[in-house]
Amino acid sequence: MKLSSIKYLAFEGVRNTWANRLMTLASVGVLVACMTIMGLAVLISENVNLAIGNLEEQNVVIVSMKDYNWALYENDEKDDTASATQSTAESGAENTTQTPAGDKNGIKETDYIIHDEKEAKALCAEIEKLDNVLNAVYVSSEKGLEDAKHLIPDDMKDDFAFLDEENPMSCAAKVTMRDMAKFDETIRQIEKLEGVASITSQSEMANTINALKKGIGVAGFWIIAILVIISLVIVSNTIRITMYSRKLEISIMKAVGATDAFVRIPFVVEGMIIGLISAVISEVLLYFCYRIATETIVKSLGTVVKYGDMAFILFLMFAAIGVFAGVIGSAIMIGKYLKHEGSEFAAI
Amino acid sequence: MENFQQFTEQNVKPIIEFRGVSKTYQTGTHALDDVNIKINNGEFVFVVGSSGAGKSTFMKLIMREEKANTGKITVNGFDLTKMKRKDVPMLRRTMGIVFQDFRLIPTMNVFDNVAFAMRVVGADGRDIRKEVSKALAKVGLGHKARSMPNQLSGGEQQRVGLARALVNSPDLIIADEPTGNVDPNMSYEIVSLLTEINRKGTTILMVTHDHNLVRDFQHRVIMLDSGKIVADNVGGDI
Ligand SMILES: Nc1ncnc2c1ncn2[C@@H]1O[C@H](COP(=O)(O)OP(=O)(O)OP(=O)(O)O)[C@@H](O)[C@H]1O
Ligand SMILES: [Mg+2]
Repeated sequence: MKLSSIKYLAFEGVRNTWANRLMTLASVGVLVACMTIMGLAVLISENVNLAIGNLEEQNVVIVSMKDYNWALYENDEKDDTASATQSTAESGAENTTQTPAGDKNGIKETDYIIHDEKEAKALCAEIEKLDNVLNAVYVSSEKGLEDAKHLIPDDMKDDFAFLDEENPMSCAAKVTMRDMAKFDETIRQIEKLEGVASITSQSEMANTINALKKGIGVAGFWIIAILVIISLVIVSNTIRITMYSRKLEISIMKAVGATDAFVRIPFVVEGMIIGLISAVISEVLLYFCYRIATETIVKSLGTVVKYGDMAFILFLMFAAIGVFAGVIGSAIMIGKYLKHEGSEFAAI
Repeated sequence: MENFQQFTEQNVKPIIEFRGVSKTYQTGTHALDDVNIKINNGEFVFVVGSSGAGKSTFMKLIMREEKANTGKITVNGFDLTKMKRKDVPMLRRTMGIVFQDFRLIPTMNVFDNVAFAMRVVGADGRDIRKEVSKALAKVGLGHKARSMPNQLSGGEQQRVGLARALVNSPDLIIADEPTGNVDPNMSYEIVSLLTEINRKGTTILMVTHDHNLVRDFQHRVIMLDSGKIVADNVGGDI
């Protein structure tokens, strides 16, 4: 296409928009409303994700290890269950003791797997190798006890005084995951590792976070989908009105042999102009809306997503939706028109 | 001599040919019924007949605004029966269409109204200025280039319409009752202009109800009645 034609068509598009300025204004208004809502939806979901991110970080999993203290505890359990059957086994067992006695608590080296800090840290490293594990930090039994003591309410401290004499805690690994969606799978992987005794997790929290994320994702998708459709309808309608007001010109264009593309382009340009104007206004409007919203909420929520970080992506989104609505909306309308009525140029 | 024969043969080659053409509208109206006709390059043809005879239908088939149900139509070398929608603009560029109601764009001046027909087929600025001036001069409206349509008489408006039909140098001009909305004097003026244009080689096809015009301008006359051609001869002897 020649440069002069392109200039002509672009100019015609601008002329359409201006000649139809009341309609343009109305559709820009609706489009701006749609886009601002979309933008708010994006900003809200980004903020929720940020908040979830904070939660996720707090949601660590404690992996306790099969160390000496664990063996001690396990032995106690065995003793308890074994005592029931002891009477029958006693006579034979007493004399034929082949197993070494172990230490003063009756624990042998082979009864547990993690013998020292080095082995514990090695297990941490192994956990860290798993795909979904961000990090696994070694927590000694002493440190674990300290942490546990903090959780005891002051008025019950006396009841737990025995903890000062005897530390029942195993050493552990504090594991942080990358993606809470793979929570269960990761837990299963950790459980399989040699030396892992048990895992204390808040899987309910993980499930809640996952549900929340999914919910926000689905809601956001539908909000945007519905608003895109509304934008499309609004723009097509505006274009349709311009088109009917240009009926005479279209009939002459068809009569002298203008191609469909030539008839169509000014309307597409008009749609694009409407979309772009709406995008710019929405961007600015959203900035102020968001600033007011965050200024009042920021104190109660803590950190929020900065508008500046989102400004570009939001503008891209607005412009894309605006241009999409403009191009598709006008193409649908003019296509319909040219097929059904545009050819009957002699009959208008 | 041989060259001359070739030339004349080409010259009398039909620009429009209908073979066994019938048109029935979706409403069931049989507008044209087995029409066979040849119109040669360079002819001036009046199409007459009573209201509802099928004259406009005949013209619409030529412009490919309607499609024939049966038969074969060729116009300017295009086979309209096989033509795809996307090729219709190319056919239209070989013809100029004049409307009964002028169809001037009220917000554009005379010059721009004529230029519009060139712009929308992608002509460039310099050609547009040259050709528009030429076309306006042909219809005797060079001095009214800056006037708006509502400042012109009906006859003048139709001459602008004619200039617009001429500006892309068509081989064929199609006019469905171009004098239907102007007074008798202006009608004569417009048909005189068309006759002038015809003398320079452009084929003219014009629908009219005006018997005086048909009688006074001795051109070929095709008469339609109930979708059939009932007469095809020269002059006012109908
Ligand atoms: N688009 C259409 N749909 C259905 N029927 C039509 C259509 N156009 C024309 N007709 C019918 O076809 C017949 C021929 O119509 P046409 O317009 O060709 O007549 P005409 O000779 O031009 O008449 P007039 O002198 O009144 O302009 C008429 O009976 C008319 O009602
Ligand atoms: Mg008619």
